[in-house]
Amino acid sequence: MKLLEISSVTKKFGSLVAVDNASMFINQNEIVGLIGPNGSGKSTLLHTICGRTFATEGAILLQGSEITNKTPQNRAKAGMAIKFQLARIYLEKTVRENILLSLQAKESIFRQLRSASLKAFEVKINEIAREFQLEEYLDEPAKSLSHGQQQWLEIAMAMAVDPILLLLDEPTAGMSPKERADTALLIKKASKKCGVLIVEHDLDFIKELCNRISVLHHGNIVATGTPAEIENDPKVKEVYLTRV
Amino acid sequence: MAGNDYLTQIVTRILIYGILVLSVELCWGQTGIFTFGQAALFGLGGYVVGLITTKSTLTDIGILLLIAIVVGAVTGLIIGIFLFSGKRVGELYVALVTLAISYICERLANSWTVLGSGNGIPGIPYPTIFGKEIGSATGLFFLAFVVFAIALILSIIIVNSQFGLTMNAVRDDEERAEFFGYQRSIVQIAVFVFAAALAASGGALFAVSEGFVSPSMSGLALSTTTVLWVVLGGRGTLFGPLIALTFLEAVNIKMQEALPSLWPILVGLLLLITMIFLPKGLTSMPAKIRESRRKTASS
Repeated sequence: MKLLEISSVTKKFGSLVAVDNASMFINQNEIVGLIGPNGSGKSTLLHTICGRTFATEGAILLQGSEITNKTPQNRAKAGMAIKFQLARIYLEKTVRENILLSLQAKESIFRQLRSASLKAFEVKINEIAREFQLEEYLDEPAKSLSHGQQQWLEIAMAMAVDPILLLLDEPTAGMSPKERADTALLIKKASKKCGVLIVEHDLDFIKELCNRISVLHHGNIVATGTPAEIENDPKVKEVYLTRV
Repeated sequence: MAGNDYLTQIVTRILIYGILVLSVELCWGQTGIFTFGQAALFGLGGYVVGLITTKSTLTDIGILLLIAIVVGAVTGLIIGIFLFSGKRVGELYVALVTLAISYICERLANSWTVLGSGNGIPGIPYPTIFGKEIGSATGLFFLAFVVFAIALILSIIIVNSQFGLTMNAVRDDEERAEFFGYQRSIVQIAVFVFAAALAASGGALFAVSEGFVSPSMSGLALSTTTVLWVVLGGRGTLFGPLIALTFLEAVNIKMQEALPSLWPILVGLLLLITMIFLPKGLTSMPAKIRESRRKTASS
């Protein structure tokens, strides 16, 4: 059984077809890249996967269960976690509180009111902060972190809940080369625990990291293959590589 | 003695409005529910108590408060389900709907004869506790103080719990909270229900301590004033709005006598200046001064 299966998904906004009959899949512990020029529909496809918008046609299956019309909350409960293109963390809250927010999302209101899980989550918070090099900033507000650290914090928040599928929208946007290299290591480490889908502009970054890459153009998936196959695919060169 | 009683009455009123302010702060300041409807729930509590006490012999404050809290919570639940279940709605939508609710309540109270129309319900008897009448200004003050203290302690516990963090997450980025798996609508409805119960209990206290209820206590003016106390004191802090309320109500009495026509303009100016220069309210001023001193020292 595939971890994620996207079957003939189409997304229309009025007469505009943003994603046209796209199909792809992700296996457990696999890192799959989704690339394409601006306006190719990769963000829209990602949004239909995470539940920000719903597919007009087609089906999305997570571990064999259909989630096409499920809300983001239910997709999160099913084991999906996302890091947005612009880090969407709680800037006024501390790093510790941000990770706690991710961890306690599935706790009932009554447990939250009693702060019943605070101590139990403390170990997990320290562990995940150490893994993402954020341990010394645990009690600092998230707004005081560097751009790269804020991106890591969002990935840390996503990974804290042990997801089965991690969605990353341009995880290295605006990062320094050192931060990009560190991020690649973190993603590789994450893939030992779950499947990863990365939406990226940067082909160099993605080809080193991904097991497979799918290329979107005008809402269609025009090629899928290993990084080497994608690099040598004439159709990809024509529609994507020459434009970057 | 008469002067002392007057002062006690003022402080009692501040404590009662304090409960209303807490309900707005929990909704708007902590959870991002921009409500202009808390006065409607305050009025509801007041009118429920007004009707019960004038049409029956029931005056026990414990039972009256309980009834007001239940009625307020049920009404809050109905409004909350209507506002928050389903898709996300913007702050402006919530503000307009709750504003409309306040307007409707004031109009209804003004026109329904059963609610006393424009005159409201006068002659509300003093409340009793264990069969003993609370008939003095001091007794009413202690009653208001106890209920206010309970409301404040509960609010502090909620805001400092893990649920308080969830409330802030919904306030700061409700879509993000949904992607973590939070049932955003349930969080908003729960807070709205609790705040509605608080507002209604405040209204009940107002009715028994003032001895009357009138349409204005459920209307737009009080709703707006409460939001302004929160703006002035600092949204997102429990004590800021309470300080603003105390300051304005205390100064209000003297200034309305001294500068009757100029005082509302001065309050408006104070609000305008606060919103422009201290968007986090007057209580953020010390932190702002410290920050500017640090900047000056480092440069």
